[in-house]
Amino acid sequence: MKILIPLKQVPDSTVRVSVAPDGKSIKTEGITWSISPYDEYAIEMALERKDDDPSTVVSVVTVGPARSRDALRQALAMGCDDASIVIADEAIPPVAIARALAKVIEDAKPDLVLCGKQASDDDQGFIGPALAEVLGWPHVATITKAVPADGSVELWREVEGGHEVWTARLPALATVHKSEKEPRYPSLPGIMKAKKKEIPERPFTALGVDSSGPMLEVLSMEPPPARGAGKILKDGDPRHLADQLATALRDEAKVL
Amino acid sequence: MKVLVVAERKGTELRRVSLELAAKATQLGDASVVEIGGERYSPLPFVSALAKKVQADAPDLVLLGATQNGRDLGARLAARLGRAYAADVTEIAAQGGSLEITRPMYAGKVRARMRVPLPAVVSIRPGAMRLREGAPAPQVTKIEADAAAEKLTFTKFAAVASGGKRVSLAEARVVVSGGRGLKGPEHWNLVEELADALGGAVGASRAVTDAGWRPNEEQVGQTGKTVTPDLYVALGISGAIQHLAGMTSSKVIVAVNKDPDADIFKVADYGVVADVFEFVPAFTEAVKKVRST
Ligand SMILES: Cc1cc2nc3c(=O)[nH]c(=O)nc-3n(C[C@H](O)[C@H](O)[C@H](O)COP(=O)(O)OP(=O)(O)OC[C@H]3O[C@@H](n4cnc5c(N)ncnc54)[C@H](O)[C@@H]3O)c2cc1C
Ligand SMILES: Nc1ncnc2c1ncn2[C@@H]1O[C@H](COP(=O)(O)O)[C@@H](O)[C@H]1O
Repeated sequence: MKILIPLKQVPDSTVRVSVAPDGKSIKTEGITWSISPYDEYAIEMALERKDDDPSTVVSVVTVGPARSRDALRQALAMGCDDASIVIADEAIPPVAIARALAKVIEDAKPDLVLCGKQASDDDQGFIGPALAEVLGWPHVATITKAVPADGSVELWREVEGGHEVWTARLPALATVHKSEKEPRYPSLPGIMKAKKKEIPERPFTALGVDSSGPMLEVLSMEPPPARGAGKILKDGDPRHLADQLATALRDEAKVL
Repeated sequence: MKVLVVAERKGTELRRVSLELAAKATQLGDASVVEIGGERYSPLPFVSALAKKVQADAPDLVLLGATQNGRDLGARLAARLGRAYAADVTEIAAQGGSLEITRPMYAGKVRARMRVPLPAVVSIRPGAMRLREGAPAPQVTKIEADAAAEKLTFTKFAAVASGGKRVSLAEARVVVSGGRGLKGPEHWNLVEELADALGGAVGASRAVTDAGWRPNEEQVGQTGKTVTPDLYVALGISGAIQHLAGMTSSKVIVAVNKDPDADIFKVADYGVVADVFEFVPAFTEAVKKVRST
């Protein structure tokens, strides 16, 4: 089985994001970049299938600036088999990103495509469903488990109260909410191997896909409103503190 | 502006977010509300039915709730119709020939004001729009999901045993979350009893869902749910940046932690330095007392 994961490089989840002087973008100087967290879960999910069946081939691809190669190396070091990049330095309409990924997928012919449920920079959750739409494939959103069978795959989707289990004929696409295990760390041999792998690149313009499409325009960005320093209750009998808090929530905060 | 609201139902009732959307839509312009009937949500049958409706009515704006299904349906619909798409919007206004919206980005660490060209599809975060109490129930047109468009097979529903039926996390006005400080799943009755006393939903940190103490759907934070209740109570949660990303927009935050230097206290309106095992049972009793008087 061939599994392909479109991934995006984003600021690491530990980065304290701050707004740049232009007021419409974030400061990127000196920040750490990583694979977007849900994409990392998608990789882990694919590698778990590879653990079960070593004939599984796991590929990663990204559309983005040259720095995104580091995210692909990270994926190779985790154990993915191959990686490629479509270089796109300028802002491209999201639907055109989906078209570019569709082109890569038509060439690579994977059985299963796993996207993250959303990229933790734009937080849109658009590319996965849009890619399935461009490909004309079915998709299942926000899965937590993929169990391959003959010519099909069982996709588990966590919903309120349990899991819906869907069966999709291959090829199919799913967006990933979580893997069964935590994303694995790259192993030392994995890192060494990843260093030596070629990462073929193509410029976006070489794909010959339509680059038109609606775009959102950022007018301004700001940090969420700062929270004022709160009240600290301590050093008392728990029952007394509890009464104090309940009364404050009713009379001051008015939430009870 | 012509606005089409896509309503969702939970059981027999419209979801609260759908009522919020309907109220907002009448402010934005000429509003109508549609509901898609079908046994359960599936992208292709729902998108197919909704796309036909949108092509027939030609609304400038399609509004959905930013729920698990609403976000999925909205994205694929926008792709099919070549419309602009904005997810999880918290403010929206018409501005000239386009929309001006506000939405969180970078896992809630930034708020962006954006221009969205029309025609558009927008999903709105539950709880972000005001609901006028006593407003008349919206008139809902029902369309049927297009079963012929289905390419998937529904195999089964695997239920998880869970303690009773509580409010869903994303829409709850009160959320009580437990962290690793609770030491194990066997102590979750403390969290649940407090949530019940407050009439709220139960959440958890990722340390807890990763350990398998609680189901993933209860996780709050960057890789879990974003919640914006009136009251958020964090029990035994350290306040890692990824947890804060999911809950700092709550109106009032209460944190209980035995470590006075825990980061969670930096965002708490009320911080209690105490042992959860001593404090929480007493607090649950105090809440019951205060609410009954
Ligand atoms: C990519 C990525 C994404 C992530 N996404 C999320 C996310 O969505 N949500 C999330 O929550 N985390 C997320 N995390 C994990 C996050 O970094 C923290 O590891 C996690 O939030 C810690 O959970 P915790 O606060 O329950 O546990 P801990 O950090 O272990 O904190 C436990 C707290 O309990 C207190 N405590 C212990 N005993 C008691 C007691 N008896 N009484 C009172 N207090 C007590 C301790 O003082 C401590 O502060 C993510 C991490 C990464 C790398
Ligand atoms: N530029 C990109 N290159 C490759 N994959 C992407 C890109 N942008 C988004 N994706 C994939 O689509 C998912 C959803 O992204 P988004 O729609 O930006 O929230 C991500 O988790 C990735 O799997």
